[in-house]
Amino acid sequence: MIRREAQAEPSYKALSWFQVGGLIVVLGAGALIMVLPFLWMFSSACKPPAEINKLPVTWLPQEVACQTNLDDLYDQSPRFSEYMVNTAIMTVGRLVGQFITCSLAAYGFARFKFPGRNLLFAASLGLLMVPFQAIMIPEYLLMRAISWTNTFFALIVPGSFSAFAMFLLRQSFMQIPREIEEAAEIDGANPLKILWYVVLPLSGPALAAFAVITVQAAWNDFLWPLVTASQNPRVVTIGIALLQGERKTPWNIIMMGSLLATLPMIILFILLQRYFIEGISMSGLKG
Amino acid sequence: MLRRSVTLLVLLALVTLAVPVMAQETEPTIPAAPCVAPGELTLWLWDENWAEVIGDSVELWKTEYCPDAEVTIEVNPWGQYWDLLKTAAASGDLPDIFTMSQPNAFFYIDNNALMDLEPYFEAAGIDSNLWGSGSVGPYRGADGTGLYSAPVEWVTVAVYYNKDMMDAAGLEYPTADWTWDDFAEYAAALTDEEAGVYGAEVYMEYQSGFPNWIAMTGVSPLIEADRSRCTLQDAGSIEALQFLKGLADAGYMPPPSIVGSTSPDDAFNLFKSGQLAMMSVGAWKLPQAFEELEFNWDVVTFPKNPTTGRSRSTLHAVGYSAGANAENPDLVANLIQFLVSDEGQRFFAEAGGVAPGNPNPELQQMWIDSFGDTNVNIQAFIDAIQDSQGITDFDEIDSVNNELVLNIFDLGMSVEEATAKACEVIDAYIASMSE
Amino acid sequence: MASGGTPVPLLYLTNPYVMSTLLNFFGHTPLSRRKAFWGLALVAPNLLGLFFFFGVPVIIAFATSLNEWNVLAPPVFTGLDNFGRMLGDNLFWRALGNTVKLALGVIPAEVILALGVALILNQQLPARGIFRTAYFLPVVTSSVAASVVWTWIFQPRYGLLGSLLQPFGLRDTAWLTRPELVLIPVGVVTVWQRLGFDMVLFLAGLQAIPRELYEAATIDGAGRWQRLRYVTLPLLSPTTFLVLTLLVISVFQIFDQVYIMTARTVRGGVDGSALTLPVFLYEEAFTRNRFGYASAVALGLFLIILFLTALQLWGQRLWVYYESEAPEVKA
Repeated sequence: MIRREAQAEPSYKALSWFQVGGLIVVLGAGALIMVLPFLWMFSSACKPPAEINKLPVTWLPQEVACQTNLDDLYDQSPRFSEYMVNTAIMTVGRLVGQFITCSLAAYGFARFKFPGRNLLFAASLGLLMVPFQAIMIPEYLLMRAISWTNTFFALIVPGSFSAFAMFLLRQSFMQIPREIEEAAEIDGANPLKILWYVVLPLSGPALAAFAVITVQAAWNDFLWPLVTASQNPRVVTIGIALLQGERKTPWNIIMMGSLLATLPMIILFILLQRYFIEGISMSGLKG
Repeated sequence: MLRRSVTLLVLLALVTLAVPVMAQETEPTIPAAPCVAPGELTLWLWDENWAEVIGDSVELWKTEYCPDAEVTIEVNPWGQYWDLLKTAAASGDLPDIFTMSQPNAFFYIDNNALMDLEPYFEAAGIDSNLWGSGSVGPYRGADGTGLYSAPVEWVTVAVYYNKDMMDAAGLEYPTADWTWDDFAEYAAALTDEEAGVYGAEVYMEYQSGFPNWIAMTGVSPLIEADRSRCTLQDAGSIEALQFLKGLADAGYMPPPSIVGSTSPDDAFNLFKSGQLAMMSVGAWKLPQAFEELEFNWDVVTFPKNPTTGRSRSTLHAVGYSAGANAENPDLVANLIQFLVSDEGQRFFAEAGGVAPGNPNPELQQMWIDSFGDTNVNIQAFIDAIQDSQGITDFDEIDSVNNELVLNIFDLGMSVEEATAKACEVIDAYIASMSE
Repeated sequence: MASGGTPVPLLYLTNPYVMSTLLNFFGHTPLSRRKAFWGLALVAPNLLGLFFFFGVPVIIAFATSLNEWNVLAPPVFTGLDNFGRMLGDNLFWRALGNTVKLALGVIPAEVILALGVALILNQQLPARGIFRTAYFLPVVTSSVAASVVWTWIFQPRYGLLGSLLQPFGLRDTAWLTRPELVLIPVGVVTVWQRLGFDMVLFLAGLQAIPRELYEAATIDGAGRWQRLRYVTLPLLSPTTFLVLTLLVISVFQIFDQVYIMTARTVRGGVDGSALTLPVFLYEEAFTRNRFGYASAVALGLFLIILFLTALQLWGQRLWVYYESEAPEVKA
């Protein structure tokens, strides 16, 4: 397997301890602001209802009610775990689907000349510029016309195509030296084989980036499932929206639900962050 | 025991007053009937708790009145319910039965999208006037005929107050004959600026807040009941809003930004944590209040307007509606009839949520009893029906209400200017509707 | 058409001249034709899927823009009326103006912060992984949950910000209701949520800059700032260009932040002070039942983004430095 060396960070000038300390302080302050909403979500998820709007603000719950809130969550939403599983199925389905369709298309756009190539590429990118709110109703009508409402088909199949993922992978494929593929071509391999055995193995980091972006978008998707499958299979974002009633907003339970729903994403990122950052770097984004 | 019978008596008296037709009836107010031909129906709700209770009713209908019928109950989040209903409507098909709210109903009624239930009720010998105009007025056509939604529940508004704080301030608990002036005194006495404690929050949104005060001056809040014009610039509306603004300017009421919103949910959070002594909100807060409040509290009807001498409350009812082109209208009407019947509303009455829309005194008593043995004057909500006022409001321009509140109570705009701005929007909308 | 006869267009295909013209369309040599067919075959699944599941709804939506439609009554064809109405609609211009204000605030702040953090994190620092994760976390959160949390933070008196600003007498500042302030929380949340993403793009760009250039610059006596000015920024410009392009698209599509943070008072702010175009079109459609008009606004928004993106593509030659177009610098 051919692997390109990741760029080492410039170590042309070592920083003094004083500078390192200063940078850490600045970064740390910024990082605190970045994670503050999480901490607040965490602490609210463990507050009893009476403490949610206390003055002065309590940063840590005075009375820890994680378990109570968790029980209340399952009391109000007994199928919450099922929603999480449905979300997971939808996410994996879209990931696999996009991996197939987008890696093929990215390869096609990166390496093959065909009539209308630029136009087709531009048109698919143009789809990114249409706000989803504008096509909610047509999407529903479409899903209904093919009887896909309230099925996993509606949750997975349309989400298996993506202009963004195609763009991301194309940028990465374009950076792979042509010579490597040409050698395989001379050996008589067809494009599918070259994609599978040569191009994809060279794009590991870009694929990791693609995976995190696709997974996080699918995992947090709300409007699409709401419009096409609000009942069954119901995903977790809808489950959380259902916790807020017309006349009751149990913040601690909503935050507990959001926390449960976000945790898998955080764990995934911690596991993938190294690959992800290299992946974006490989996809290059140089012209 | 005594309290119960008194309650019952008052209730009977009240129902007699409100609905003379019913007084001598011993039969069920609203009977149920067997269905003619079973089929499949879809029922849309926006509340998980209701889904449970109404689900029980539907089960009973299926065993007793319509074996072999199939009903699919679908719950959609409240925040997106109306958007989803419109999305469904775009395909030409509304769900067979769905819960409807008064400000949302006009759009569907005006576009002939809802089924008229009146002929079915007439055929079943049910007089739809038994619900009273506050409950069903907004569910009739612009000409006052037809019935496009049958009440699931009714809600009046009253003042919740913290008894412990009143004790600490050396105040006597308010009674039903208190006046606006008393209210202002209470609010002043209960405010403790240094501790961040406010005396009251009663302006809120269109249902729990300022429209009640406007109603007490004798004006139909927001919009004339015949949907002809904005009433916010009427003398009564100005009087009510000036009174409330006076309390806010004196620091007795927190501005909406500090409450967090114009929603009673946020005011309730303040109330709950002891930073607010009195707030107005509908009966729907009772379950949460019983569950979460850690101090002594009670409920009292709104104070009386010194000029009119009236204590009034807004009345709002959520209803069951059906799509105008439902595939099986007879079956739809049959299930709705059951759901609002004495038998069908039992579960609702017993669930301890909001009061069942069916005015049968037995059911209303059942609802009061559902809260168990309590000192809280739940009766206040039933008393409030006596002189209640339906609210005419359109969801399409509902944000003017909140904007009005923010302008007056947060952004320091004068009542005259804020109401003029609101009326401009409302009247323009009314004009666009009659085009 | 003659019944039973061969349909005319098919006949054309048997003509060798037509046939070869058609084939030449795909390429002039057998190899280039083969490549063209492979290319089309490879892109077909994704493009067909995109067309069917997104292109068709977009076409329907744009067709809707020529009608007056409230979803209950049948649509009425009104031609370009909706577009005329849009140009005369104060709220449309206000929403556009808000978006421009947000863009002017968010884009520079976002680029400077993301670049700054990336420059720092590109140094050898302890616990880099932890910092990267911390800065990236907001990207993976649901924007719904994030907006709810930020609503609290900005709530006067009881919110976190209020208690932090108490010493300055700003505890009770009504960030979310005052028309002149409400865009600040919206902008802050937008920057917060996107920072990690753009930081990662910059980090990647920085990692791609050849070390040799820095070494050469250092030998030539360039200081830290000079290296940043003359090496890092020019070589990073393709990344900066990409960040800007994606940022413009996303700033013009700000929805969740406004929708949720102002939902509990007046959606879109008092007097439309927090309206963005997507929120405006959503309100026109689902609250005011003007679905045709909303589609027209969507089309307008699409054209604005398209124009800005084209402008950026055109303008990039003025400031974006592409290594491939420059003399070879690699060792």
